[in-house]
Amino acid sequence: MSRVDMAVDFAGMHLKNPINTASGTFGFGWQFQNFFDVSTLGAITTKGCAAEPWPGNPKPRMTEVKGGMMNSVGLQNPGVRGMVAESGDFLADLAAKGTRVICQVAGHSTAEYVAALELFEELCPWASAFELNVSCPNIDAGGAAAGSTPEGAAEVMRACRPITKRPLLVKMAPVRLPEIARALEAEGADGLTVINSIPGMAIDVHTRRSKLSKPTGGLSGPLLHPIAVRMVWEVANAVDIPVCGVGGVTTGEEAAEFILAGASAVSVGMASFAEPDAAVRILAELEAWAESQGVASISELIGAFEC
Amino acid sequence: MPTPSPARVHDCTVVANEPIARDVFALRISAPALASGLEPGQFVNIAVPGNAMSLLRIPLSYAAADAEAGTIDIWYAVVGEGTERLSRMQPGDSTTVLGPGGHGWTIPEGCRRALLVAGGIGVPPVLCLARELAQKGIPYTVCIGAATADTLVGEHEFEEAGSPVISIATDDGSAGYHGFVTDAAERVLELEGDTFDYVATCGPEPMMAKVSAAAAHAGVSCEASVERMMSCGFGACATCAVETTGGMKGACMCGPVFDAKEVVW
Repeated sequence: MSRVDMAVDFAGMHLKNPINTASGTFGFGWQFQNFFDVSTLGAITTKGCAAEPWPGNPKPRMTEVKGGMMNSVGLQNPGVRGMVAESGDFLADLAAKGTRVICQVAGHSTAEYVAALELFEELCPWASAFELNVSCPNIDAGGAAAGSTPEGAAEVMRACRPITKRPLLVKMAPVRLPEIARALEAEGADGLTVINSIPGMAIDVHTRRSKLSKPTGGLSGPLLHPIAVRMVWEVANAVDIPVCGVGGVTTGEEAAEFILAGASAVSVGMASFAEPDAAVRILAELEAWAESQGVASISELIGAFEC
Repeated sequence: MPTPSPARVHDCTVVANEPIARDVFALRISAPALASGLEPGQFVNIAVPGNAMSLLRIPLSYAAADAEAGTIDIWYAVVGEGTERLSRMQPGDSTTVLGPGGHGWTIPEGCRRALLVAGGIGVPPVLCLARELAQKGIPYTVCIGAATADTLVGEHEFEEAGSPVISIATDDGSAGYHGFVTDAAERVLELEGDTFDYVATCGPEPMMAKVSAAAAHAGVSCEASVERMMSCGFGACATCAVETTGGMKGACMCGPVFDAKEVVW
């Protein structure tokens, strides 16, 4: 039995521990249930869904790079209704076991975010919170286009805020973070997820073509972890609402860096692909680190970075 | 909720890892629980230690599984840093393998005769199927294609499995027929199409597209094993999508073997 209380408060939610999963790397949770008991996690964040199903981008959608990977999935999703029909029972059961279910919301325009969120609000009574993905690097409109300016991000938040009383989080693009974070806080965001994948390029020099179906894709994995830690620290210093750190976490110590930089929760992303139960290992390692710091609660370590 | 992948992470040990053609290796691993649960056409996803900068597993089809010995034979082409690293693994080395992945071949009920068309490193899952057909007493004809004679694999193994006819084609004419394996497959289907009930193919996509079209023209059902870049192999990442007449489908869960007429080639 741990001597450290691992529970944290995040965006109006009580999480049994700070470990969450990055949207797009964890399906709808049930894909992992055969590998480990998903209800051991503090939260999961499901794949972004729009009001209607999206087919996503053509192949190839993924290429591995040194220290990470690049994807061009383009938010393929079954739509909110499809997601509820397919995964609703599992997610309701997970929520009943005390793991917070954060549903990510996708759209190409403010109107589409509104339409999707209205459906989530109506059809997902088990959802603990919603995460607006205004930073997907792989869709032509909406996504990063909406989330790359304070005005664009604020517009989406302003339109969505009245739709639900449940916590609204925003998945942030890795640009102009402090000012966009402040704009989102002013519009009533309950928490911020920092960061989404970083736009990158990988070129096959023999064919002179992109290794993905589009010229650019979203870079993720351990290679961007130090950038993500810096961005979490900047956002945590800029706003009073809580932050969930995301980016290349493969060990408990890397999760701990996010906590010290000011994150109240930490999402595991790419690590789950090769090691499906990475999140539980990282949770155990994070707990061991918290114990080593001699605190009664891991909450005491949030933002405890000294400089 | 849809059925989750039956895949688990299995410990495994390298038994052998030897070149069998230019840039093609045969790897034998010991993973008893997995070896007894694999079906022809499924795949495994192997972790290759030795490079901290490389995080993903390598998804590979397999050529044979021996439930009694607890071993799995995997033939792979060395095409990049990951497979090059895999080729340096030695007997006794240990790692983990995630599987089984996806679903394999579905031999039609009452199948009288099958045509198998394999190109390059597409041979292993087709060889696996050949052994299954032989076991069921279903005759089959094999067409193998390769770029050159020194990259050709499977000839002897197909014969050992009991194939009555093997047609070989190489792009440069260094072995067998000078040309594409699809020429041979198309000719067989044109002349004897009505004697076949099943065509199975694995190889480069343009090859499979031609085989699929020839099978459709001859009115014979056809399955194709499709290859994709893959992050997870168990339905979570959505990177291995295959465009089908029914929308985008993940190669890892809905494939890698698809009904060829459903694939948008």
